[in-house]
Amino acid sequence: MAKLVELRNVYKIYGEGLESEVRALDGVSLTIERGDFTAIVGQSGSGKSTMMNVLGCLDIPTRGDYFLDGVDVRELTDKELSRIRNKQIGFIFQQYNLIPSLTVRENVELPLIYKGVSADDRYDLAMEALERVGLKDRVKHRPAQMSGGQQQRVAIARAIATKPPIIMADEPTGALDSHTGHDVLKFLQQLNREGTSVILITHDNGIAATAPRVVRLQDGKIVEDYRQEVEWL
Amino acid sequence: MNIRQAFKMAWKSIWGKKGRSALTILGIFIGIAAVMTIVSVMEGMQAKSMEQFEAMGSNRVNVRVDSWVYDDQGNNIGKDYFPDLYDYCTQMKDVVLGVTPKGECSATVTYGTKSSDTMQPQYNENGQVSSGSYPPRLFYGSDQFSICENLTLKAGRDLTMLDIKNYNQVCVINEYAAKLFFGGVDPVGQILKFNGNEFRVVGVYANRLDANSQEAMWSDNMIVLPYSTRRLLGGQMSTEYVVKVADAKAMPEVISRIGGFLRGIVDSSTGSVSVFSESQWAESSNEYLRMVGLVLGGIAAISLLVGGIGIMNIMLVTVTERTREIGIRRAIGAQRGSIISQFLIEAAMLCGIGGIVGILFGTIGSVFLSTLLVKMTIYPSPIVAAGAFGLSVALGVIFGSYPAVKASKLQPVEALRAE
Repeated sequence: MAKLVELRNVYKIYGEGLESEVRALDGVSLTIERGDFTAIVGQSGSGKSTMMNVLGCLDIPTRGDYFLDGVDVRELTDKELSRIRNKQIGFIFQQYNLIPSLTVRENVELPLIYKGVSADDRYDLAMEALERVGLKDRVKHRPAQMSGGQQQRVAIARAIATKPPIIMADEPTGALDSHTGHDVLKFLQQLNREGTSVILITHDNGIAATAPRVVRLQDGKIVEDYRQEVEWL
Repeated sequence: MNIRQAFKMAWKSIWGKKGRSALTILGIFIGIAAVMTIVSVMEGMQAKSMEQFEAMGSNRVNVRVDSWVYDDQGNNIGKDYFPDLYDYCTQMKDVVLGVTPKGECSATVTYGTKSSDTMQPQYNENGQVSSGSYPPRLFYGSDQFSICENLTLKAGRDLTMLDIKNYNQVCVINEYAAKLFFGGVDPVGQILKFNGNEFRVVGVYANRLDANSQEAMWSDNMIVLPYSTRRLLGGQMSTEYVVKVADAKAMPEVISRIGGFLRGIVDSSTGSVSVFSESQWAESSNEYLRMVGLVLGGIAAISLLVGGIGIMNIMLVTVTERTREIGIRRAIGAQRGSIISQFLIEAAMLCGIGGIVGILFGTIGSVFLSTLLVKMTIYPSPIVAAGAFGLSVALGVIFGSYPAVKASKLQPVEALRAE
C-alpha cells in the first residue's frame, strides 16, 4: 500500500521558549497507508486534536516534515492548503459545525461550491450524499430543526459530498447517544471498506476498538501503535 | 465559488438579520438621498437659468453710462449718450446687429375698463399661478429693440426710427401682454392709454417662452415704446443699453471698441462707463450655483462618510459573530479570496440596497424641493441616479474591505474554536 500520510519528527509547540511552553506534538513520526482505518487515541491534552489539525492541513507544524500523498505540506501556500482540504479531506467534527443560516442541502453543497462544481452537478452530488445518510427528505430543514444524530449525518454527508479520498473524524460520536454513535461508526467502517482512508480521533478505547489500527498519544508523543482484529459493525 | 452563489449567500445573511440591516442601511440611504436631492436641484436650477438666458438671446453686450450732472432742483440733467452710441454702432454694422436702450417706464396702462394697476396673479396651493398675471413691463426701446431682445414680429409692424424721431405715440405689444388687455381681439390698431395718453398698438411680438410657464409672466409680458416718448411719460433717463453682436468671436472686439469710444466722449469726472458681456453675468451666476452646490454636497458627503463608517462597524461585528462559520468554511476548502468576496459582496449589497432606497427618497426629495424652491418639477437625471447607486456600492466596497480582509486572515484552527 502506498503511503498516504507521513509525519517525520513533527513538533507543534505553543509559546516556544517561554516558561509556559506547550509541546502539543513532541517529535511525532507516523506513517499511514492509503485505504487504512486508523484511530488516534488519547486523553484530553494528549495532543490528538493538534494531530488532527496538522493532518487535516488546518495547522502547520512548528518543526518536522509532513508529506500528504507525497506532497510536502510545509511548502504549500494558503491557497493550495485550502484546495487540499476541499478536495482530499472530508472533516467530521464533534460539534457537527454546520452553518445555522443554511439549509441541509446548502450545507452539503458548500464544499462543492468551493470546489467550483456547477449548480446542477452540485445538486445531484448533494442529494446523493444525503441519500447515503438517509436524510433525502430533510433537505430544506435547518440544522437547528434537527436532532444531534441527524445533524451529524448532515455533517457526514457534507464530508463525503466531494468524494474525498480521506475522511477525518474528530470525536464524531462525542455528542451522540450510544445508539446513534454506533450508526456513525458503522458508516465510517462502510466508507473504509469502499476504499476511503479514515482517520478517527477519539479518547474512547471502546470506539477505538472499531479501528484496525490504533495509535495512542500521550503528552504529544506516540506511546502505542498496534493493529487489531475488529468486529465489523 | 461563482458570483451568483456569492450574491445569494450575501442576500441570505442580510435578510436573516432584517432589523440590523435596515438600521445599517439608514445611514447610507439618508446620505444618498441628500446628495441626490442637492445635485439634481442644483442641476435643474442651472439648466433653468441657462435656458432662460438662451431664450433672451446670446452674444449681447451690456453698456452702462452713468452721468451725474444735476440742476438746482436736484434733477439729473446729464447728457443722454444713446444717440452717440447708436451712431457709433451703425458704423460697425458688420459686427453689430442692433443697439437699444432698456429703460423702464412705470406708467399706468388702461384699455377700456382694464387697468394695469389692478393686475395681480392668483396662486394655487402649490405656489403656481392659477390665473391672472402681474402687469406688463414697459420698456423704452429703439427701432432695434426686437433684434437685441430676440423678439420676432407676429403681426403688424415693428418700431421705426421715424417713430422715435417724430415722438410717435405708438407701441409694440408682446403676445402675452396683448392677451391680458385684448383677450381674443386683434391688438393691431387698438388704442392703449399710458397715464391717459393714447398710444396706438402697431405690432405684436411672438412669445419667446412657453406662455403657460411662470417665466413667461416675467420675460414675455411687455410693451415696447419709442424711447423718445419718455418726454411724455417720464421715468428715469435710460443709462443701460444692450448691444447685439453678430457672433461670439466678435464680442471682445465690440466690447473694447464701444468701451474706447464711450470713454472718449464721457467726462470721467461726472460720469462712468461700463461695458461687459452678458454671458459673463450668466457664467458668474452659474459659478455661484456651483459653489452653493459644492458646499451642500460636501455636507451630504459627510453624512455618507458617517454612514460608511456605520457599515464598517456592523461588518466587523458580523465577522466577529461569524468567526466560527468562517472557520468551517475555511476547513471545508474556502480560500481567503472567497471569504473576502463573501463579506465584500455583503457590504456592497447592503450599501446598494441603501442606495436604491436613497435614490427613491432623493427623487421624492428633489421633486418636492424643486417645486417648493424654484416652482418647477425637477426629476433627477438617470446619470445622477446611476452615479448615486455607483457611489453607494463603492462605499460598501471601501468600508467593507477592512472587515473582509480581517475575516480572511483568521486562522482556520482558531476560528473553528470560537463559540
